[in-house]
Amino acid sequence: MVQNSPLILCIDDEPVGLKVRKILLEREGYRVLTAADGPSSLPLFEQEPVDIVVLDYSMPGMHGGEVAGHMRRIKPRVPILLLSAYVGLPSEVTSLVDLYMTKGEGAPVLLRKLENLLLRQPVGAS
Amino acid sequence: MNLAQFHRILRQAFLLPVVALLIMAGTLYWQLRGANETVRLIQEADFRISQTIGVGKLIADQESGLRGYEVTGDDRFLSDFRQAEGHFQAQMDSLTAATRDDATQKTNIEDLRNGYQNWHDAFALPIIATVKAGGQTSDITLNLYGKSLMDQVRQDIGGIMTHYGTQRSERIQQWQTQVRNTTEALIAIALGMGILIGMFTRNRLRAVSSAYRTSLEVLGRRAEEIYQSEQQLRRTQDSLLANEKLAVSGRLAAAIAHEIHNPLDSVSNLLYLLRTGATEEESRQFIDMAESELARVTQISRAMLGLYRESRAPVPVDLKEILEEVLLLMEHRFHELNVTARTELPEQVVIDAFPSELRQVFTNLISNAAEAAGKGGEVRGEIRIDASHFQASADKPAGAIIHIVDNGTGIPEEVRPQLFQPFFTTKGEHGTGLGLWVSQGIVSKHGGSIEIASDTSPASHGTVVTVTLAERPPIATGTVSELP
Repeated sequence: MVQNSPLILCIDDEPVGLKVRKILLEREGYRVLTAADGPSSLPLFEQEPVDIVVLDYSMPGMHGGEVAGHMRRIKPRVPILLLSAYVGLPSEVTSLVDLYMTKGEGAPVLLRKLENLLLRQPVGAS
Repeated sequence: MNLAQFHRILRQAFLLPVVALLIMAGTLYWQLRGANETVRLIQEADFRISQTIGVGKLIADQESGLRGYEVTGDDRFLSDFRQAEGHFQAQMDSLTAATRDDATQKTNIEDLRNGYQNWHDAFALPIIATVKAGGQTSDITLNLYGKSLMDQVRQDIGGIMTHYGTQRSERIQQWQTQVRNTTEALIAIALGMGILIGMFTRNRLRAVSSAYRTSLEVLGRRAEEIYQSEQQLRRTQDSLLANEKLAVSGRLAAAIAHEIHNPLDSVSNLLYLLRTGATEEESRQFIDMAESELARVTQISRAMLGLYRESRAPVPVDLKEILEEVLLLMEHRFHELNVTARTELPEQVVIDAFPSELRQVFTNLISNAAEAAGKGGEVRGEIRIDASHFQASADKPAGAIIHIVDNGTGIPEEVRPQLFQPFFTTKGEHGTGLGLWVSQGIVSKHGGSIEIASDTSPASHGTVVTVTLAERPPIATGTVSELP
């Protein structure tokens, strides 16, 4: 694995979905950190040089919007991609993140959007 | 016309005849009293006449006693004279007393008294003295003088009698006039009162009858308004029920979308991985994962189909199956709320019911319980659901009982009476305030009831919702509108 490849933090309470996403992203050459809920993801986000966050919306304890709010306070420039199984999230949530997509749109869409976000944000900027 | 006016008319219609009768009775009494007084005066005149006749008789007795004594010189004749003499004064005093107000008669009586006294003193007593002395009393001049005195007395008695007789005739005349006046007055008053009562009653009855007609018209209009507003209310209620059903459907649809999108996302990613090249080992692993995720989708889709399968009449449904389906669809929500759901559904619990309506009820109640348990504080939220069948007893037929228990903070006592009211919600903008109201409607349609017991004490807080359903509900179809 290339040391300077982008580091992605994936947060999702669905273990199968999280596992498959990790395999997919690693196959694409990214480094991947995972967390099963919001509270456990925040220390990782703070300590690790995360380049981009792929965040699930519906999770126990703290939903994606709340997690994004915390992250914005910690490192405001790290792009966040919100991934949700729900359609039509409230604007106060979507306004906190850089991009918002629905689960099931397929791997190529996800990869393309990640790539675009990373292009906007030079690697290592955080 | 209002009720007070109507009562006033009733009072008038009752009082007027009473007042008329009282006036007539008063007039009659007054007239009779006058007539009675006249009759009393007539009786008085009769009495005085007979008294005067008595006086005349006394004088006649004295005169005949005197004559007997004059002729025989026997003292026994004088006893009548003396006796009549005593009575005469008493009778004359009585007559004088009775004629105090009648000057003419008083004069007549004084004349009689004087005439008598003349006869007594100037003739009778000298005659008696002469006879006693043994002298002669047959002198014509003397006797003619006595006769003239007695004639005067008789004339005076005649004058008194005539005066009393005239008085009596006048009083009889007066009595007759009074009786005629009374009769005429009574006829006049009766006629007048009759006409007055008749006109008044006619006028008042007209007012009452017109008010009655107006009332009928107003009542008719009110009935129409009530009917219209009831129709409006029914339409509003139907639309509220439909809204609540849509809200429940919306929540379920969101849950379903979430449940399906998650596995679909994994499957789509796995397919991408397979297509972009994987080892045999990886491929097998990816395919297993994809199959397992698709099985999850199938399971969700089956539960979803069950949700919208509806019948027009109650069908046998297994509450265990319905509760498990609802719980499956809500699994993610429990996860999200950090709530554990435990069930005690040991066997089939079959009753006749509309399955989609019961799903709506249980989705509502379980979702309430989970949200309450999710806010339980430090203690991990927990809900417990059990269902069991019960046999018919004396007070209720056979049925099923379902408990939905949560360990949330409990429902404050002041809120409890409002729980089943429409538009009452403790969830702010997230609630329609119709969930429990609609659920209660559905459950009572199924011949059952919902009871809520809650405890807010720190040691044992929580809520128990008990749903009772009849095994064979006497369902009035159409009381709760069904989803199209």
